[in-house]
Amino acid sequence: MLDRILAIMRREYLERVKTKAFWISTLLVPVFLGAVMIIPAWLAARGGGAFTVGVLDFTGRFAEPIRLELDDLIGRQSSIAAAALEQSEVVPGEQAETIGEIANDPILELELVELATDGDPEAARERAKQGVQDGAYDGLLVLPATLPDEGQAEYVSPNVSTFQMLSVLERSVNNVMVADRLTTAGLDPEAVGELTRRVDLKTLKLGAKGQETHDQGQGFLVSYVFMMIIYMTVLMYGIYVMRGVLEEKASHIVEVIISTVKPFELMLGKILGIGAVGLTQFLLWSALMVAISAPGAASALGMGSLELPAVPAVQIVFFVVYFVLGFLLYGTLYAGIGAAFDTEQEAQNFQGVITMFLIVPLVLMMYILNQPDAPLSVALSLFPFFTPMLMFLRMTLTQVPAVQLLGSVVLMTATIVAAAWVVGKVYRVGILMHGSKPKLKDLWRWIREA
Amino acid sequence: MTDPILEIVNVSKRYGDVQAVDDLSFTVPRGSVFGLLGPNGAGKSTTIRMVMRIIMADTGRILLDGVPVDDDRRRLIGYLPEERGLYKKMKVLEHLVYLGTIRGLNAAEAKRRAAAWLDRFELSAWATHKIEDLSKGMQQKVQFIGTILHRPQLLILDEPFSGLDPINTRSLKDLLIAMSAEGVTIVLSTHVLPQVDELCTHICLINRARAILYGDLETIRSQYGGNVWRVASELDETELAALEGVTGVRPLGAEKLVELEPEAEPRRLVQALAAHGGLESFTRFVPGLENIFIRAVEEDRTHA
Repeated sequence: MLDRILAIMRREYLERVKTKAFWISTLLVPVFLGAVMIIPAWLAARGGGAFTVGVLDFTGRFAEPIRLELDDLIGRQSSIAAAALEQSEVVPGEQAETIGEIANDPILELELVELATDGDPEAARERAKQGVQDGAYDGLLVLPATLPDEGQAEYVSPNVSTFQMLSVLERSVNNVMVADRLTTAGLDPEAVGELTRRVDLKTLKLGAKGQETHDQGQGFLVSYVFMMIIYMTVLMYGIYVMRGVLEEKASHIVEVIISTVKPFELMLGKILGIGAVGLTQFLLWSALMVAISAPGAASALGMGSLELPAVPAVQIVFFVVYFVLGFLLYGTLYAGIGAAFDTEQEAQNFQGVITMFLIVPLVLMMYILNQPDAPLSVALSLFPFFTPMLMFLRMTLTQVPAVQLLGSVVLMTATIVAAAWVVGKVYRVGILMHGSKPKLKDLWRWIREA
Repeated sequence: MTDPILEIVNVSKRYGDVQAVDDLSFTVPRGSVFGLLGPNGAGKSTTIRMVMRIIMADTGRILLDGVPVDDDRRRLIGYLPEERGLYKKMKVLEHLVYLGTIRGLNAAEAKRRAAAWLDRFELSAWATHKIEDLSKGMQQKVQFIGTILHRPQLLILDEPFSGLDPINTRSLKDLLIAMSAEGVTIVLSTHVLPQVDELCTHICLINRARAILYGDLETIRSQYGGNVWRVASELDETELAALEGVTGVRPLGAEKLVELEPEAEPRRLVQALAAHGGLESFTRFVPGLENIFIRAVEEDRTHA
């Protein structure tokens, strides 16, 4: 029995691994993912995010403090980044860390140009606006003479969606105004600087063993990408199973095979063989990622060196576990659908129902993101059809108790066995059926009678 | 019958309201060429599928070499289904090796045998081509090689000649005759009776889910042949019918079929014909399968 299942697996595996489509997708997906993660950082490091802002300072005294405050807020980061780019002044050890930071937090360059305010304020404002229109400045900062006691600072620009720049600018203006009011109120200017010093929030993710890792979201981004990979591969390989079964039915080869091999063995061999193709693809992707992130390769691409965000080993293990379990569950269901129908068109309705189960977790994702430990989140992530994606997502967000992880694996395994038992019956009858499209009650009859 | 290779004992199969096979029993003698004959929908394919355990019989037993067929023993049979099928994207040799391995051959042996058969069918040049690149006739040959690769002692072929041109039909018949001579038992299922007229040693006629005629073909022919003679003469039907001992006359092409009283001596008819001066030829009538079948169905109907 085992040698026949192995022979079937071997055929399913080789037939797919030998196709061009397999190699193209194996090569293109990491390129695509790499592009998504690297290109923004690369663009930012290459001088994106540089702004020139004209300042109309009717107070005549705030432009300079704001410039200093701006430099203070962003100067540190940009100067280090610039240095890293030029590969000078920074010791090698510091480099990798800095670039890693940049990759997830693009640098900002902001130059303030003070504009003439003499004459009629409205005319000055019109002149300055013209400058923006002409493209001399990206935007215009207007500081009315009534500041800091009354009135509002204004920012005028054709593009007001440059959020990071706006937030830095707003913070600078605000800090200067607050400092000015405190000084006016009689505080010593030096004490003001000390009192208004900003406290940065450093985000640390607590690991399972109590270790703290610096994580400003890049860890989650990687997890999100991994979750999407689970979704896409389970769907893709599940549909491969369905197509494989449909093809065997359409070409009538199935009767030759099941005159030798039990239908269940054929189904099992097919699902396992196609699953092995999926694992092979993961293995190749990992190898490619390691190759790309090697220092030599990265510098060959002109990016200095690139540090991939570290993913905890336990997440990698569960990524594979959940892919395997998810694929076995959905692959089994897709096999049943392939057996029940003659063509993909006929199978569409039922296929849609199964695919819905894969899409629902994507919809629920926002809820889980906000409340990864809520009872509903725990329950949803333990629901076997959602587990591969939602439990994996929770793992990246919070510390999931081991009992829940174990429970999810047990529940999924039980569901897979049950699904294989039921689908096995549908499969056994369905693969020999041709012609009329079965209805739900026909499928139920097959399950009862087989 | 001595030394049966396959025994079907009181086998029945029902699909909902349709009785597909109704208490069917027959025995295939070792070394025979056994025709499982009958019109479309008579239950032939259902019977074969039950032998191959593709579907399960509701009742009855199926024995191979005296032992019930199980999932392992069925692999001793070479089975060619009515609906042919191959993996279109696979290469010819790979495909044959695959079919060999799932039937228990090791890959090297399967490859060696497949290559030898491809050579015999003059398909060696196509060994590394995909199945879909082959003509339909070539695909049929590949399918047949896949059926016999594991050297089964019992071959069950469901409508083996359907879709074959006359030349390929001839060469398949020759191959089957050769295999039969080597001792392989062959069960042929078909509704095109003349195709197997010259091949079968034994037959089972199935009509409406039941066996209506079954046995050694020679015996059946002589039974159904009876005291019937093919006559070419100048006499017309009425004149022939008037002769002594004649019970019936039917036209058969340009000749006449003359049926005599069971005990009547054909010599007397020859003398009578000669006396009338109109005898060109006179031979015993050997009924074809189609002829036998039609009469058997008629008798079955009158009994029912």
